[in-house]
Formats: sequence, C-alpha cells, structure tokens
Amino acid sequence: MAVERLTSRPSGGSARVRRTPGWWAGSSLRPIIYGLLVVGALVQVYPIFFLLMNTLKTDTQILNTPFSLPTSLSFAPFVDVWTGERTGMFFGRYFFNSVIVLAATLVLMLSISCLCGYAMARGQFPGNGTLHQALLLSLAVPAHALAIPLYFFVGSLGLRNSLFGLTLVYAALGAPFTIILMRAYFMHMPVELEEAARIDGCGRLGVFLRIVVPISRGPIAGMAIININWIWSELFFSLILMNKADVRTLPLAIALYKPAPMTVETVLGLQYAAMALATIPVLILFFLFQRQIASGMTMGAFK
Amino acid sequence: MPWYLFIAPASLMLLALMAYPLFDTLRLSLFKWGGLGPQTFIGMRNFSKLFGDEVFWRALSNSLIFAVVVPFVTVSIGLFLGVAISRRMKGWQIYRIAFFIPVMMSGVVVATLWANMFEYNHGLFNTVLRGIGLEGLAQNWLGDRNVALMSIMLVPIWQSVGFPMIVLLAAVEGIPQEMHDAATMDGVNEWQRIWGLIVPLIKPVLASITMLSIIGAMKVFDIVLVMTKGGPAFSTQVLGYYLFETAFRSGNFGYGSAIAVVMFAVVFAVAYGYVRGVRIESVEY
Repeated sequence: MAVERLTSRPSGGSARVRRTPGWWAGSSLRPIIYGLLVVGALVQVYPIFFLLMNTLKTDTQILNTPFSLPTSLSFAPFVDVWTGERTGMFFGRYFFNSVIVLAATLVLMLSISCLCGYAMARGQFPGNGTLHQALLLSLAVPAHALAIPLYFFVGSLGLRNSLFGLTLVYAALGAPFTIILMRAYFMHMPVELEEAARIDGCGRLGVFLRIVVPISRGPIAGMAIININWIWSELFFSLILMNKADVRTLPLAIALYKPAPMTVETVLGLQYAAMALATIPVLILFFLFQRQIASGMTMGAFK
Repeated sequence: MPWYLFIAPASLMLLALMAYPLFDTLRLSLFKWGGLGPQTFIGMRNFSKLFGDEVFWRALSNSLIFAVVVPFVTVSIGLFLGVAISRRMKGWQIYRIAFFIPVMMSGVVVATLWANMFEYNHGLFNTVLRGIGLEGLAQNWLGDRNVALMSIMLVPIWQSVGFPMIVLLAAVEGIPQEMHDAATMDGVNEWQRIWGLIVPLIKPVLASITMLSIIGAMKVFDIVLVMTKGGPAFSTQVLGYYLFETAFRSGNFGYGSAIAVVMFAVVFAVAYGYVRGVRIESVEY
C-alpha cells in the first residue's frame, strides 16, 4: 500500500479529501490555531531567509543590522567560495565531490538493492526468510557502532580519502532500507508479464533487466529521492574517512570552515554563501519533487 | 541465472561493511588498542572503566534526555500541525511547505546557522532581546552549562517538526470520510474528534514516527560537533560525539568500541521494544 502511494499520480491524494471549512469552524479555538500556524511558519522560514540574505551582506551589516535587507545584489561571495581564493577552501571542488558521491551511491545502492529485493520477492531459496529478518534487524543498528572497524577496514582496502570508499560505505548503510522497500514493491507487482517473457525464452536476468526495471522506474526514482537527503547531508563518515582537503564533501567542508572574525571584510558572508551553496540545490529539488518527497518520507515511516 | 547471484552483491557488501564491523566492534570492546601495534585483551575492563567514567555518564544521560525531549516535542508539534492543516483549510499548502523545508536541509548547515544566531555578542537572539528591552533574558546560549543542552535541543526540534507533520497528515487523511460523518452525527466536538477518533486510528503511525525520532535523537552528532563540541564542561556531551572523540581524536579504539557497544545496545533496545510492542510484522503493507 505504501509503495503504491508513491507510484500513484499526485492528483489522487488531494482529490480524496473533501473540501470543508476546516475542523475549527465556529470554534473559539480557531483564531488561536491560525495564530500558532502563522507564527510557527515564520519561525520555520525566517532563519532560511536570514541565511540567504546574509550571503549578500558585509560582516558589519550582518552583525550590526541583522534585520536589514542587503543593499546590493552581488554574486561575488558565491564566486569567492566557489573558487576558494579568499577562503582557502575550494567549495566548488567540495560541491563536485558531494555530487559524485551522491550519484555513485545512488547508482550502486539502487542496483544491488533492486537485484536483491527482486530475488527476495520472486525467488524461493533457503535463507530468504533469514535474510529478510537480518535486514529488518540491521535497521536498528546505529551507524556509529560500525565506525571504528569500518575506518580500519576501508583503510586496509586503501580507500580512505577516496570518494569511492565513501560511496561503498554509504551504499551499504542505505541498502537494507532500500532492499526492504523494493522487496515489498516487487511482491505486489503482478507476475504475468514476467511469465510471458520467460515463455518467450528470456532468462531471469533478461526478464529483470528488460521487463522489471523499465516498468519499475517510478518506485526506483522514489527510492532515489528518499535517499538523496541523508547522503547529501552525511557528516560522520565523511569526517572519519576523508582527512585530505581535496576529497572533502560539502557538509564536512562547512563543518570545518572556521572563519576568523573580522580579518577580512566579508568572512561571515562567505560562510553564509558556502552554506547557501549546500542548501540551494536541495531547495530546488524540493520544489521540483515536492509530492514525491513527501510521499517517499511517508512511505519510509509507514514501514 | 540462480537467485543467489541476484542477492550476492548486496549480501557481500552488507556482510563486509555492516555485519563484520558490528562483530568487530563487539570484539574490540574487549581489547585495549591504540590503532597501531598489538591489541591487548583486557576482558570487561573497558566496561568497568566506563562505569566509573563521569563523562560517559554525562554523555549517556544527555543522549537519553535528547531521546526523550526532542521526539516528544517534535512529534507533539507535528501532530498538532498535521491535524490542524488536514482538511485543506485555507493556505494549508503554504504551511506544509514552510514547515517541511528545514527537514530537507543538511544538519551541518542548520547547526552552523543556529550557532551564529545563538552567538553571545552579535547573534540574532540576543540582539532581539536587547533590542526590545529584555536584556536580562539574553543568554550565553551555547557557553552557559545550564543552558547549552536546552539550546542545542531546540535545533533538531526546529529542523524536524515538518517530518512528523507530513507523515501524520497523510495518516489523518487516510481516515475514511464515513467515520468522520458518523462522528459528526454523534455530535462530537473537535476535541473529542481528535482524541476519540483521529489519535486512536493513527496510533500505529504515531508509534513508528516516535520510534524513528527517538533513534534519530540517540544518534545526534552533527549539531554537537558544530555547535559545542560537547562543552561547556561536558554539559552537551552525547554518546555519538564521545565515541568520536575517544576513538578518532584520542586514539583509544578499544574504549571507543565499548562506548559504541553501549550506544548499539540502547538503540537496539528501543527498536526491539517497539517491534515487540507494536508488532510491526502483523502490519504488512
């Protein structure tokens, strides 16, 4: 049910609900509830607005007149953090590191998870049930508890300070959840198409690649969307595994960026620009895929 | 192609990068090891040392405070929001977007932003308080050991209220209209509708979102690293950060593993209790 929710077209969701004046019509609580909502929404949005405004202000303006709007619209701070000329940290590079790790993790994680989830849904083999139980249990393991051996294991593979090493770790951390949801989806997928293809002489892998994957594009994209957020934000393993400056990911670079106050005129502004650099892509993504993100998050929690 | 080849890539990766590290953490917790050189078997001594380690107890109790306060407040506000904006009241989409945007942001950015707002001399909060004449309420938000933990707990609450909101909104909307109609005919007021109809029906979702939130709060790390580094005077030390410091800053990998084992045990117990209590197996979607 939850997986179908993700795949069904967005219109289904809102049309179901009858348009009524709201719970609180005629209640004396109504103004209070509206008031709380408005104040709450401002509290949620203002810091983000503050962040974006500060990218365009000088340090003096940020510190002395925090509520004023920027006096000029200039992309210079973004250029500065991107090239790293004034900060000494090359956020353009970190940005691409993050993009590469994100893309590679998604490809690797979705490939192994789809294969595994499909086999678990369709195949009858000893250990299938045990594997499912093990995956469910693994959801309750905090990644911190794996960190020390992983640090040495990844090191012994020579993959510390390597974007590929970080990708392997992320793909493994995200896989159990993705496998469980893909398995649930494949179990509810009608089997007839696959059977027809098998009669036509297609092997298991052929059926999977030519039939199953193409018709499952929706849920696969949904799984990608659910995972983008944590991969883009992950700090802990990046901090442990990436010690060299040129392989940092964006969250790690932001966490390590310690501007010395007031040594250059716009040190704080540059810090805000770096933060905006990490935030703006997510905001764009959010506005493009709002419904899919909401239903993906919901799906995760229902499971 | 046999099914085993389908599951092989994922299984091998999970064995190497999850199962093996987990067992190795358990093993290492019984050793004294500086990262290089020989590992010395010391039995349970890491754990008995933990027992007398004041910083560890601070970290454990702070983590537990985090895991109680943050989920309780977050889910309560989320429930209020989800119920309030269900039924498509005017402007509901704006509220939905406003409350959900912070959920998408990365923890490091949010923590850095709030650290700047909490700053004593020029931060937004103190500037506002001084500006409206409430100078006495201006705090050293992150530097005062009585206030710092409360300050940093505000951050994940601010960031994540949109998550329970969006999930509970979907759950509330999943309640069939007929049940609302029946309740309306019985003449219930809104208060009774919420506590007598909505909350009982969305209880499984409420339980699962609470558990997710508790596990997330137990793992808090980014905020502490960026905002306080566990200080002042260990008042914001938490398990995840103490583990990081012990192992990766001080090089005590055996002792760090013992902290990891405690962290694993606590999170696992919460998750296991949840599975037992709610019987997730019976709710197959």
